[in-house]
Amino acid sequence: MTFYREAVYRPLGDLYLTVEFGDELNLLLNFRVIAFDTALRATSIPGVTETIPTNRSLGIVYDPFVTTHERLVGQLKEIEQRMGEIKELPSRHITIPIWYNDSWSQECAKAHGAPNNLEYMAEINHTSVGDVIRAHAATEWWVSAVGFQPACYQALPLDPAFSVSAPKYPRPRKWTPERILCQAGKLTSFYPVRSPGGYQLLGRTPIELYDPKQQNRVFRDGPVLPRVSDRHTYVPIDEATYWQIRRQYEAGAYEYQIREGSYRLQDYLDKLAVHNRRRVQQAPGSV
Amino acid sequence: MRPVREQLPRNEEEGMVFEVLDGGPQSTIQDVGRPGYLATGMPPSGAADRFALGVGNLLVGNDPGERYLVGRRPGSAGLEVLLSGLKLRVLAETVIAITGADLTAMLDDSPLPMWQTVRVRPGNTVAFRRPRAGARAYVAMAGGIDVPVFAGSRATNVRAFVGGIDGRAIKKGDVITTLAPRRALGHLEGRRLRDSLVPRFDGRWRVRVVLGPQDDLFLEESIGTFLTYDWRLSPTSDRMGCRFVGPKLEFKPRPAYLVEQAGADPSNIVDDTIPVGGIQVPSGLEPIVLHVDGPSLGGYAKIATVISADLGQVGQMRPGEIANFEAVSTNEAVEALRKLEDSISEASLVRS
Repeated sequence: MTFYREAVYRPLGDLYLTVEFGDELNLLLNFRVIAFDTALRATSIPGVTETIPTNRSLGIVYDPFVTTHERLVGQLKEIEQRMGEIKELPSRHITIPIWYNDSWSQECAKAHGAPNNLEYMAEINHTSVGDVIRAHAATEWWVSAVGFQPACYQALPLDPAFSVSAPKYPRPRKWTPERILCQAGKLTSFYPVRSPGGYQLLGRTPIELYDPKQQNRVFRDGPVLPRVSDRHTYVPIDEATYWQIRRQYEAGAYEYQIREGSYRLQDYLDKLAVHNRRRVQQAPGSV
Repeated sequence: MRPVREQLPRNEEEGMVFEVLDGGPQSTIQDVGRPGYLATGMPPSGAADRFALGVGNLLVGNDPGERYLVGRRPGSAGLEVLLSGLKLRVLAETVIAITGADLTAMLDDSPLPMWQTVRVRPGNTVAFRRPRAGARAYVAMAGGIDVPVFAGSRATNVRAFVGGIDGRAIKKGDVITTLAPRRALGHLEGRRLRDSLVPRFDGRWRVRVVLGPQDDLFLEESIGTFLTYDWRLSPTSDRMGCRFVGPKLEFKPRPAYLVEQAGADPSNIVDDTIPVGGIQVPSGLEPIVLHVDGPSLGGYAKIATVISADLGQVGQMRPGEIANFEAVSTNEAVEALRKLEDSISEASLVRS
């Protein structure tokens, strides 16, 4: 069910189309989207002006005075057919400090009549708040889509054993403070600016991932830091460290921890194989 | 994507043409917008009614820019005025054109004629008293508004804090400066749009759509309802999204894995691209047309996409007004765009 046998091409009005590879949240599907995007960019088809990778599909903007929907679909299908196996994707690694269960998240939940979000997640996952935080910080996260708002991203856990799940709020919140990290299902996301939302609140980072004034040099090329195919590690910090880093950031002295590099998909497949073996062994009644 | 200020071949004071006496509920500086950054979550923004700002710019001798999203030039920047309340004092002689919605524009105590050039002089006041037809008027001014170019455009996005003046709507005390006019002011006088091309806004709007990308998730009857009902614009509408009130639309039953992957609500999908003009229907209630400041990614089924030629129609609707959605093919949508773009040309103007 993960991959469609062939991608589905859907029109989005007269300026966009979407190439849909599946309808699940699945890293292998996202790798495929990114590989297709990379192949498309390398081909430079006339009329294509920008591409928008999502978890499971690639949005494509095109100039209908240069090409037509039919012609473009034909060219994209050729790319799809000759696309080989992908082994490695360029991927930056970014370390992001988080004050988990911070006071803003707690106040925000309270103001909307919701229980402490981490306590709630611990309860429904039959574990403790400490374990929820440890699990979230233990895995690397893969940025699988950026959108909704500038620098708002979605990330999937690179550890297949990550098991903490979170339901969305039954009624979305009217507001969420900026720089809050959140989770729904097994997706981590982020509120770059104060905004409504329905994901469970995890904690707050003292550093900006969106800076329209582009003050720090990591924003040299644009106001948005997160990119699809980035990997994140979240490091738990306490309140005192939060304020120390925030002051550093505001003084322009904070050094972002970013490593250029790449990600071998085999690493994920190996982990997935081990995880699946374990699951089979643990399943009741299995031989 | 660094803000850039263009080097000006003139002294600063000369370009100071207006002082803002009242910003109204939301007046923003817009051009055709800022494409190229959708993958970072940055909406294109730009004028909600591309035709109106484009014609205004042409009238005053400015660059009308190219198409939404795929054009290479955003054109000159003007003011987009929502509903009423904007009040400007003229500081320096210039030529302006008011286009788009009829918001009872006044030059001192006289009605200000629309869709044509008007010379204004220091001491004059330009004010918008009350909306009569349409929602958004445009003030184009000779030379175009001079604010820093951010990521290729001057368009304001108040939610992302970029473009315009410090990424916000204009407010009392702001001074609007323009770049050097491309033509002598005297040559601009008496220019107007052909009468046959002046849009008539009568409170009922025909909005053409291309069905999809997720029309296959809705029941056939609901597609029929969508294409025949008189949808009323809700007051909860802005440059990000326009919400329409009407009957509930129903979804087909879904396989169990989608409930787990996409969410419990039948309108949930695994997030995918939202185009400008995409029509989301969360829970089947109140279709939302995502507009120029809208998100690029979302998890609700989209029944159809408003064609780019008709985005301006949606941008001109006032709460309570009626839209009728009409399905067209992608090719018809492209033809409509060609017709719209061709009309934003010198050939559409006459001298009175």
